[in-house]
Amino acid sequence: MINVSDLGIKFKMGKRRRSRAFTFLFERSHNRQRPTGEFWALRHVSFTVERGETVGIIGRNGSGKSTLLRVIAGIYPPDEGTVSVGGEVSTLFSLGTGFNAELSGRDNIYLNGIMIGIAKNQIDGISDAIIEFAELGDFIDMPVRTYSSGMRSRLGFAIAMHSDKDIVLIDEIMGAGDAVFRQKADAEMRRIIGERTVLIVSHDMNTIKEFANKVIWLNRGVMVAMGEPKEVVEQYLAASKVKKPPPDLD
Amino acid sequence: MIEQLRRVWQRRELLWYMVKLQMKAEKKNKVLGFAWSFLDPLLLLLVYMVLVHYIFGRGGPQFPVLLFISLLSWRWFTSSLSRSVTSVTSKVGLIQSVRFPLAILPLSGIIIGFFDWLFGFVILVPMLFIFEASLTVNILWLPVLLLIQFVGTVGACLLVAVVGTYLSDLGNIIQFLIRLGFYLSPILYSVEGTVPERLTMLYMLGNPFAGMMESYKNVVILGAPPNEYALWGAAVAVIAFLVGLWYFSRDEYKLVKAI
Repeated sequence: MINVSDLGIKFKMGKRRRSRAFTFLFERSHNRQRPTGEFWALRHVSFTVERGETVGIIGRNGSGKSTLLRVIAGIYPPDEGTVSVGGEVSTLFSLGTGFNAELSGRDNIYLNGIMIGIAKNQIDGISDAIIEFAELGDFIDMPVRTYSSGMRSRLGFAIAMHSDKDIVLIDEIMGAGDAVFRQKADAEMRRIIGERTVLIVSHDMNTIKEFANKVIWLNRGVMVAMGEPKEVVEQYLAASKVKKPPPDLD
Repeated sequence: MIEQLRRVWQRRELLWYMVKLQMKAEKKNKVLGFAWSFLDPLLLLLVYMVLVHYIFGRGGPQFPVLLFISLLSWRWFTSSLSRSVTSVTSKVGLIQSVRFPLAILPLSGIIIGFFDWLFGFVILVPMLFIFEASLTVNILWLPVLLLIQFVGTVGACLLVAVVGTYLSDLGNIIQFLIRLGFYLSPILYSVEGTVPERLTMLYMLGNPFAGMMESYKNVVILGAPPNEYALWGAAVAVIAFLVGLWYFSRDEYKLVKAI
């Protein structure tokens, strides 16, 4: 269903890419020390995901986990290698993105639905279920900027779950909800596991071990290991043990 | 490039919804809300009427309506441009969450600008009777002029959306150019009687907007056919459209990584 082969994603260093003419005119003198060159966010990454699998992606901050999800969502085209995705992808929700903060939660449900190609009358049918699941109450008609981070991630998770697409991408939005929501979310995850293909990025190893049937460990853009959740998670935890304990504060 | 147009057309429902939501977000949280769609152009007109009519003592009896039609059209162009500069950078969250044709972002700004034009035109219609504009068959040219302006604006905005993503200074530059363009275009004045006759051709060719502005006034207020330099405006519009579309299509994917 998802076939990633020798994938490489490259970013240019520096804040923004400049045109050559601009660099020539303005940046010769005062920005000489600016680091130039390329930075590979992902390189030589290969794996396949079958229909109905749940894949956990783990690794330290900046190891390329979110970039990998964006590639599968079709947002970044590969600079090297090939990626083929056989199915429709839901919106990729990560903390704090994917919403228009000025609009109400309800409008954002419609916006996100239309973005991923659900017809408007179909959204009418699922919006009530999303609102109920996200437990937003009257807040649903308030601008999203007034939401707490837990409310945002609840809404994002609810939309992702109800969007009825073949492939669901979840980027660390399980963690922000409270205990009650967490149980609901876990139940929902169990419901869709096996039914849909799920890629989930998380720092919570229990989530990964419980839901994933396969784990990918990324480090600095390179795949360190892939395989049984228990084994890979243990390797990862062993490798990330802090060598020196933090100094006493008193 | 044709592929780009096809992709945007396929997602027209999304484009339409973004326009609606954006208009809603702009009007919400304001006491007068929707009324601002009419108040904005009216107040703008008032400012320039005070300036030209009373302070400089210029402008003929039909000056308010002549000014209004060109002011509306100029505002459509400039508001589209200013919106386009940040149209990509302001939607980082959306762009990094789901794949869609990015051209929808500058396009939605242009369509919102056109609605503002329409709201302004609604106010203009009664004024046309008060100021005794001559309504002739030439009014049928109006949609043609609007189409030319739309095509040119799309080109300019696609270009600006790409460059504005790489270079945030563009916003300041554009604001300056808009101000300059306003005084260099026949909005507060007419070409005839202001621009020296021997310089007319240079003026009309140098500013493709000049022919368009004169044509708007001709067909809506004066009941005359469009100015012949509108053809030049149309040519520039088509060139801008092709260049903008080519540049945007080439850089669309690089943009995603640049933000």
